[in-house]
Amino acid sequence: MSKAAGPDFPLRKRASHDALFPAVRQLADQLILLALLASICLFILYPMVCILWRSLQDGDGVSFAMYAHVWRKYRQSLYNSMLTATCTALLCTAFSVAAALLTATGKGWLRVLGMGLLLITMVSPPFVSSLAYIQLYGRRGWITYRVLGLSLDPYNCWGVILMQSLSFVPVNALFLMGMLTKMDQGSLLAARDLGARPKHILRDVVLPLIRPGILVCLLLSFVRSLADFGTPVIIGGRFSTIASDIYMQLMGFSDLEKASAMNMTLLLPSVAAFFLYRYLMVKTGSTSGERSQQRGLWLPLHRCGALGGILAGGGIFFFLVLVLQYICIFASGFIKRVKGVSVFTLDHLERLMRYNADTLVRSMVYALIVALAGTFFAMLFSYYVYRRKVRFGSFFDCLATLPYMLPGTCFGIGYILAFNHPPLKLTGTALIVIANMLFKQLPTTTKICTAALAQIPDAQEKAVRDLGGDKLTVIKDVILPGMRPAFLSCFAYNFSSSMTTSGAVLFLIDPGNQLAVFRLFDAVNKGEYSMAALIATFIILIVVVVEGLVYLLASRKEKAHVS
Amino acid sequence: MKMKKLASLALALALGVSLVACGGGNGAQSSVSSSGTGSQSGTGSQSGTGSQSQEPQEPAAPQLSGTMKVVATNETYVTLFDEFTADTGVKVELLSMSSGDVLSKLRAEGGTPSADLWFGGGIDAFMSAKADGLLEQVTFDAAADLADDFKDAEGYWYSKGLTIVGFLLNNTLMGELSLEAPATWDDLLDPSYKGEIIMSNPAISGTNYAVVNALLQTKEDGWSYFEALNENIAQYGRRGADPMTKVTADEFAIGITYLDGTIDALLDQYDVEIVYPSDGIPWIPDGVAVFKNAENVEAAKYFVEWLFSSDENLRLLAEIDQKTSVKIIKPNLEGIELGYDPAILMKEDLSLFGAQRAEILEKFEPLMGDKAVNE
Repeated sequence: MSKAAGPDFPLRKRASHDALFPAVRQLADQLILLALLASICLFILYPMVCILWRSLQDGDGVSFAMYAHVWRKYRQSLYNSMLTATCTALLCTAFSVAAALLTATGKGWLRVLGMGLLLITMVSPPFVSSLAYIQLYGRRGWITYRVLGLSLDPYNCWGVILMQSLSFVPVNALFLMGMLTKMDQGSLLAARDLGARPKHILRDVVLPLIRPGILVCLLLSFVRSLADFGTPVIIGGRFSTIASDIYMQLMGFSDLEKASAMNMTLLLPSVAAFFLYRYLMVKTGSTSGERSQQRGLWLPLHRCGALGGILAGGGIFFFLVLVLQYICIFASGFIKRVKGVSVFTLDHLERLMRYNADTLVRSMVYALIVALAGTFFAMLFSYYVYRRKVRFGSFFDCLATLPYMLPGTCFGIGYILAFNHPPLKLTGTALIVIANMLFKQLPTTTKICTAALAQIPDAQEKAVRDLGGDKLTVIKDVILPGMRPAFLSCFAYNFSSSMTTSGAVLFLIDPGNQLAVFRLFDAVNKGEYSMAALIATFIILIVVVVEGLVYLLASRKEKAHVS
Repeated sequence: MKMKKLASLALALALGVSLVACGGGNGAQSSVSSSGTGSQSGTGSQSGTGSQSQEPQEPAAPQLSGTMKVVATNETYVTLFDEFTADTGVKVELLSMSSGDVLSKLRAEGGTPSADLWFGGGIDAFMSAKADGLLEQVTFDAAADLADDFKDAEGYWYSKGLTIVGFLLNNTLMGELSLEAPATWDDLLDPSYKGEIIMSNPAISGTNYAVVNALLQTKEDGWSYFEALNENIAQYGRRGADPMTKVTADEFAIGITYLDGTIDALLDQYDVEIVYPSDGIPWIPDGVAVFKNAENVEAAKYFVEWLFSSDENLRLLAEIDQKTSVKIIKPNLEGIELGYDPAILMKEDLSLFGAQRAEILEKFEPLMGDKAVNE
């Protein structure tokens, strides 16, 4: 098996290591481990400590005064954050289940279309969705006003909840799709053959089987909503959450101490949600054990009674809104107004190319570096922590999960605080941006790798050891080749996240290393909506093309290898 | 078979180790990775070298080198900096960034700024940075020509123009709602405008902060004015351009916004109208400063001198900015006529802008909250 999977692993080169002493190889193994753990401490723990330390500064000493102040002044925002996150989690999960079921049970090209839409919209550049939302559903929105004749005020908490719910759906839906296709079709068919009606199969078989996935969606959406500042900033109107208040503190008052304390406060509900997530994942860890099937799910939603109807309707509604939103974004980049009439234009494109062509290229290069290095890092990390179960492994695992829970702005400020002085002066370099992206995305990539790791049987590893291979041999002959499916997922996730990350880079970008997503943020700030939409279009295009190429390359290699 | 696979491992090791090594000693790396991308600015260095001699009033350039990193409010300033590169050989890297972002970053960097020059942005942020000791003092002969009101007495910041504030009206909505166009700040209190006015959060927007500070300075009971105005204001945008974008998008009828050439250009695109309030126009200087401890302080300091010592450079700046207010900054500037009567500008004591900022914004904050929640 290892022989079969080994020969075309990307990093493989021919070399002889006969001469190496076992002791040296043992040392190398320890060095890799040490390097991994040291990087985690340096790039996650240390910046966090810097933020914490800053939040405790009080003019001339250390105190908790700032926390008391935050608690007094921002209780309403904290409540708003919790309310928004809870509603978003519920609504988003409902949409996700609906969209996943609709796609998974779809036939032929409908299924492909659904998958394609979810994959494209998984690339969700920040801010522009909210701008499209105003264009479509604002007080004079295309849909609400011109089509439906309504004049609704969208600038409130419900606008934020709806917008967040929609934009978090694609990732969740793809995750649920994965579970649905891996589901044991036998029990479905058995239930059918025993005469169960579709609506009962849906209620009694399908939904219970994906319940762990539903819980994961709930918690992940909850945490994401808490940390999201872009949506409330753009469409919140007078409504504010802790995340949008942090943004205001940083952009309006440059009050790092208060912003740090607010970030730490926001961390509490996130950490709570995440421990719940871990607890649930441990309980349901076995569900990812089977190979996925590329067949559709046998379950005619339209014959599933009221519940099926609601799910199908919800799914269709979601896809409709999604398609409209992306059309709106794509079109905005090529439209200008002349005397109140919208006309096609290439002005924005020309301006983007004149000032920012290098920015687009740089974004792509950084994202590629993060995608490769980050994926590799995550593979090794998950192997050492989950398979080898090194000492303090769970502590480091918790550390590696922290960045997911932090608002990006906080993680970015932490990096500046941590790396602004020699011997660790990284501010102003490309490295600080790349490291920040890599470690910000590590929580998710390690989860993907761990799941893949679970599919590599222990016995394989033992066999290599029994045949005389050492730990390094295991890594390169069993673990890395076995994780090839994870490589693709991690690469895709890393690449698209690096292209669209919004919070952290706002503070890490310097003259000379501007990224597309920063230019997008700047355009949104200046009110250049067309430019923002055009950059978003480019980001989506780049991600889809690059990931498509990597996928093709990988599947061709797979085929060549099989033959 | 397995013996041949060491190289893959070696690569793995190298990657892992390089991550650590990257964390180790990076004093040198910053200059390497940052100097590589100055392509957009270095283009004119050969063609423009002769212009120096035609500028008798321009001081001789000191020996400058390297790259100057600039945070500016717009990337269109690139043409101005191209001139600077042509005259001095200093490459320029430009990044467009809002002044709140700049200030937060500057504070987090703890005296090791990653840019050299700060070009544009509301003067309140510059005053705040000066108070924190983050700016470098710049003095030069031609500074004597600049009006006293618009530069820091000690030379920590200068201003390259004024941003003025007025109203932008959406004619379609004004018509549909049968609203009369407001002509003064007091007109905005008319109950018929309820829910139809948008301004920016003054903490984010320097120009809207100028509105608050200036009206508090000039009105007898400024706070009751803003409490009354709050009744009509739909929301306080969290970005400076919000009033402009939301009025042009037909979302709100009246926006309190900065007025410059870019707003004038909107008249051709949308059915909108500009109102210069007849009871006075609030204004705020647009700052220029050099960051203390920056890597290329010398180039940045010389840039300030270079800009303000040459009428030609200032005219180019005015053209890019689409503003004529630089004439107010340097009254003896030739070739530019002010686009409005300076008498309509409100009387402002600029020194209060920095001193009162924290206090005013703290008092203003409760106004901006959710009305539904506060009631």
